[in-house]
Amino acid sequence: MTVALAAIILFGLVLVFAGLLGVAKEKLRVDEDPRIGEVTEVLPAANCGGCGFAGCADFAKAVVEKRAQCDGCPVGGSRIAEKIAGVLGVEVVKTFPYRPVIHCTAKDYQKLGRVPYDGVRGCVEANLLGVTQACTYGCLGLGDCVRSCTFDALHMVDGVPVVDYDKCTGCGACTKVCPRNLIERIPFRQERMLVVGCANKEPAKAVREVCKVGCIGCKLCQRLCADMFQVSDNLAWLNYDNYADEEDENLQQVLQKCPAEVLVYFGKPKPEYAQQLAAEAHDEELVETAAP
Amino acid sequence: MSIGVLLGILLSVVLVNNLVLAGFLGICPFLGVSRKVGMAFGMGCAVTFVITVSGVVTWLIVHAVLMPIGDYFGRPDMLYFLKYVAFIMVIASMVQLVEMYLKKFSPPLYTAFGVFLPLITTNCAILGACLYIDMKSETQNLLNAAVYALGGGIGFTLAITIMAGIREHIQFSDVPKCLRGAGITLLVAGILAMAFTGFTGIGK
Repeated sequence: MTVALAAIILFGLVLVFAGLLGVAKEKLRVDEDPRIGEVTEVLPAANCGGCGFAGCADFAKAVVEKRAQCDGCPVGGSRIAEKIAGVLGVEVVKTFPYRPVIHCTAKDYQKLGRVPYDGVRGCVEANLLGVTQACTYGCLGLGDCVRSCTFDALHMVDGVPVVDYDKCTGCGACTKVCPRNLIERIPFRQERMLVVGCANKEPAKAVREVCKVGCIGCKLCQRLCADMFQVSDNLAWLNYDNYADEEDENLQQVLQKCPAEVLVYFGKPKPEYAQQLAAEAHDEELVETAAP
Repeated sequence: MSIGVLLGILLSVVLVNNLVLAGFLGICPFLGVSRKVGMAFGMGCAVTFVITVSGVVTWLIVHAVLMPIGDYFGRPDMLYFLKYVAFIMVIASMVQLVEMYLKKFSPPLYTAFGVFLPLITTNCAILGACLYIDMKSETQNLLNAAVYALGGGIGFTLAITIMAGIREHIQFSDVPKCLRGAGITLLVAGILAMAFTGFTGIGK
């Protein structure tokens, strides 16, 4: 009896409120872009928030309003990106990961005028002193960037940091911490990218006095391959918007003729670094197996 | 029934028995949406609307549906167990209504609230107020119940707005590292609640 009565009463109340909400929905309807709904249907509906928005519907809204890219859904990958692009009638633009490179490749024995430094072990502190090495632009080699990396992707090898691109996520922590702004994030269009491994803006003579490998600003690269290289302030820099193919003839000539040998590839580890990293990893494994 | 009684009920629920600071109800939005004064006030207004309408409608459901039917069968408290589920349904519908209204007329506020707007549904201050209305002897007529519900909403708005004002100041103060964030917020909430006990003795 009571159960039946309860059911009837609740059913009645539900009907009343459902009717009320139904009317309100019609009266207070907001005209939304229909594409928002279509994009939402394409998305995985996991509402994981990996895209940086509050959920799939929020991301769909952002995409339609052009606040986010089609390939912004990390779960869906390229398949979903193409579907979204289909809904919106646009092309998927291929993007490249930004990874750090270091604009100083001078190893310990190539840097001149170094003095023994027993102060606080940090680049910021040593940079304030300014007397630990002759080059005021180059890497101090004290490893602030290595300590800033939370992914164990940076290691000091012969006094310059080497990026382990398998571990690097491109978070940019190292670029912020370097007191000499030597670390820059560039778009990795290929497996390995050419980098000007020097940041010294002094004239050739001054550079040669402080470093064995610094860029002397001879403008040879600019003459041979003007699209890609430009020299200003006695320093060559690479225009990554006009990045040429590795097999490009002009580029090959530049690489052969550069008198400072300051153009280096970052990306795939160089053979000697790879060996050293492998040796370190091997040591760690030995320690780990010995420990328990 | 005089104005004095209504004023007493209002003062009592706004200041003395504030739902948030004396009843510890609705702590979730009290801490979650009290970062900026504007947003906190908007949240307070939304809750005030929902609490007032829900208070009146739930009073009607108890006194015009559940009690008469129970009386008819000779057992007035026969259907009282239905009040919880009925109350929740009323509150949820009202929240839906507010959500639609805000989406239409105030989209910035709608996006600012985000997930906290649907969460008003589970704001225990609202269900608490409805159940208090059902429980207390002085709110057994409709006008008193409406005033109590309105007062509950105003009290919530007052508490959350004061909290937001204090938190805006804390942004610029030198808080000890271990207390930053939730720690200092909870301390402030506690001190605020203690300050509100100073109203004890006013009215009833």
